[in-house]
Amino acid sequence: MQVRSQISMVFHLDKCIGCHTCSVACKNIWTDRKGAEYMWWNNVETKPGTGFPTKWEDQEKYKGGFEKNAAGELEIKSTSKTKIVPNIFHNPHMPSMDDYYEPWTYDYQNLFNAKEGSDQPTAEPISMIDGKKIDVQSGPNWDDDLGGSPIYAENDPNLEGLTEEQRLQLSSVERLVFFYLPRICNHCLNPCCVASCPSGALYKRGEDGIVLIDQKKCRAWRSCVAACPYKKTYFNWFTGKSEKCILCFPRLETGQAPACFHSCVGRIRYLGVLLYDAEKLEEVAKLPDDELVEGQRDMILDPHDPEVIAEAMKNGVSEGVIEAAQNSPVYKFVIEWKIALPPHIEFRTLPMLFYVPPMSPVQASKVEDTITHNSENLFHDIDDSRVPMKFLANLFGAGHEGVVRYALAKQKAVRWHRRAETVGDIDRETADRMLREANCTREEAEAIYKLTALCKFEDRFVIPPMHREQAIEMMKEPHEHREEVGFGFVGAPRRGV
Amino acid sequence: MNPATESKRVPQTERPTGIEHWIGLPAIKKKRLQITGVAADGQSRNGFRVLATLFAALVSTTAFAQDTPDYYRANCMNCHTIGGGRLTGPDLKDVTKRKDAEWLIGFMQNPKAVIDSGDAYATKITEASRGVVMPTLPGMTRYRAEQILKLIEAESKLEKSQFQGIKISNKPFTDADRAAGRAIFTGSRGLKKGGAACNACHSIYDLPALGGGHLGPDLTKIYERLKGRKSLSAWLMAPATETMQPIFKNRPLEADEIHVLAAYFEDAAKHSETDASVNRMAFLLLGLGLATSVIFLFDLIWKSRFHSVRRPLVDSITNAIHRGTPQQNIKSDSGVPPILSATLVGTEASNEHESEQGDQ
Repeated sequence: MQVRSQISMVFHLDKCIGCHTCSVACKNIWTDRKGAEYMWWNNVETKPGTGFPTKWEDQEKYKGGFEKNAAGELEIKSTSKTKIVPNIFHNPHMPSMDDYYEPWTYDYQNLFNAKEGSDQPTAEPISMIDGKKIDVQSGPNWDDDLGGSPIYAENDPNLEGLTEEQRLQLSSVERLVFFYLPRICNHCLNPCCVASCPSGALYKRGEDGIVLIDQKKCRAWRSCVAACPYKKTYFNWFTGKSEKCILCFPRLETGQAPACFHSCVGRIRYLGVLLYDAEKLEEVAKLPDDELVEGQRDMILDPHDPEVIAEAMKNGVSEGVIEAAQNSPVYKFVIEWKIALPPHIEFRTLPMLFYVPPMSPVQASKVEDTITHNSENLFHDIDDSRVPMKFLANLFGAGHEGVVRYALAKQKAVRWHRRAETVGDIDRETADRMLREANCTREEAEAIYKLTALCKFEDRFVIPPMHREQAIEMMKEPHEHREEVGFGFVGAPRRGV
Repeated sequence: MNPATESKRVPQTERPTGIEHWIGLPAIKKKRLQITGVAADGQSRNGFRVLATLFAALVSTTAFAQDTPDYYRANCMNCHTIGGGRLTGPDLKDVTKRKDAEWLIGFMQNPKAVIDSGDAYATKITEASRGVVMPTLPGMTRYRAEQILKLIEAESKLEKSQFQGIKISNKPFTDADRAAGRAIFTGSRGLKKGGAACNACHSIYDLPALGGGHLGPDLTKIYERLKGRKSLSAWLMAPATETMQPIFKNRPLEADEIHVLAAYFEDAAKHSETDASVNRMAFLLLGLGLATSVIFLFDLIWKSRFHSVRRPLVDSITNAIHRGTPQQNIKSDSGVPPILSATLVGTEASNEHESEQGDQ
């Protein structure tokens, strides 16, 4: 057993209202810089939709993530030791700017400086790349709330395997449904970006598993951009270095939640430590698609188990971190309750950001049935929900519906349990039967309800002590270090070596 | 630092590359090129070089005084004999009797300036050398020039000077000679002292598709241009242009190599140069053809490369709408485009119950 700690996240999609406050908080802190205008380390996508960059989930196009070769070994799809040389002058799997978007601002000066004329002056859009006027074609949320056109929604890669009827249901006005998918870097256990970097600039921090890019080592190969299946590494054209979500580690190190977590209006975000067994990593990453979700859960260790604690201590995981792992809300969602699922685990990077799949109304054509139903099957509306099960399964279950249905059934059972408790329109017996069928107890249901609906700051974010003072001590005097930090870059990233 | 090695290094690095001479730049421009060349060097190296030059100047007045014959051998023998007839430059036997020492020293220190000043004798000898201007030699101080004149004077008195040079044979050319000459020209037979093969820089009438180099002139008519066997051989013995000199100075051609090359050039002069221009065209076409095929090859190898995603997605559907034809990629049951069908279904649905009770 090789115990390591990982800061992990849960996003409760049933609570997300799609306000983009997280994206704005992140942009203001980290990517409001030249060359970073187009980056959205945190973005919120509408599903069904093509996301940002357009159709990022389509790995036939983007060639992100790992695949198993004939010998059963994992291979990076986009690059390899042999491919790096023939592709030295041109990385063939790089998304173009058009697939992100050309960032723009408005020529506000014109509102003040325009010559007198018969029309009102306007602030025309100008590109933030070359400063010229542009015809805005696309943006990071072009299909927000299906706002762009059905073109984007109908081309969502997760629609694969849906029937024509289900597709039509999704896009029909007044029957239409969508939900939001906020995305940040997943800080994967098996990060493809790290594996692909020829200069060794990317690394996964030993103490907390945050994946970072060393701005001094980055040599602009952009392999990480092509390799990340979630397209969460971005190339800064101005500094000539790649950048990505840093999980606000300077905030975490001072005990604060990352900016996007802190600012979340719907309080959908949870953060906590998971202990995992690094020895199982390779074995799990190679599992067949339908065993991946379970395999990843098997890797995550019980922080209350004395044996795990002993091994963790032996491996240098501090007591504070173990304690944080024991109180981790993420552990509850992912392992105890099993209602949070990794996104697209079939990319085999083992993401450590988990999503609680969203509930949705039943299909409009089945509404009558639901109201008048007297079926024995209390969960039939999960299969008839407007977001087809297959769609959610493509997104969160590597195409397999079982784990998604389990998570949705448990959520529904918790709701009915609370209705029996507070509203009283459901009799206790039915509620208990539902809990039983959803593999849930009353205590568990109460715990889920509390952490979902009544969660306070300390419940949502159990931030372990980072002990930076101990890490710094190895290199310099901690007090001296403390005086030097906090005023921007110690050495700003610069183009070149 | 070993002074001897240092001072030897300096003349080599400061010698003009000769490119300017080749493309016929006027003297002033050439000088400027040299100056900028030095200025462009790194500061530290520049300083080092200035020091080294000073050192060389110091050393040259003392240690090198005894080395005059060596200096002569290294720098003058390529173009001049003493009593062996003219090569590129005139025979220097009794040169001190032809012209006064003061003029000679001035000329040796800066031949170009003397010629440019319009001096009658200088112009005459330049014409005799077919326009080749004697290079300004590094380290040619007044003292050094005097020493060389003394050496020439002494050598001129001898029956057979050590600087007489090689005798040019008068053997008639055979077919074997011509074939061997061609072998040397194309490099299939290497030069004994290791000089570069002719076709590295020159082309000639009968070379295959890719031809020879184009840095130097075409040599098909060289036998005529140099006015016959003697002066051609003399040239080959000590090529005097600033591009050829550094190559062949330390790797001179052997007498028999010169003989077979002369045989080949004599034969070549009977052909016309037009063949060479055909070669050049073939070279260009071959290059274009290869470049095109390489582009197609790359396209094939990287066939699975990333192509734009968003634009084709949007374009295909907007084009379909503008043409008024239904989309092909998603078929709807009624045959109505989904964009339209969505609106139609919407109007139907508005008659039905509007209910959001699905998750009760």
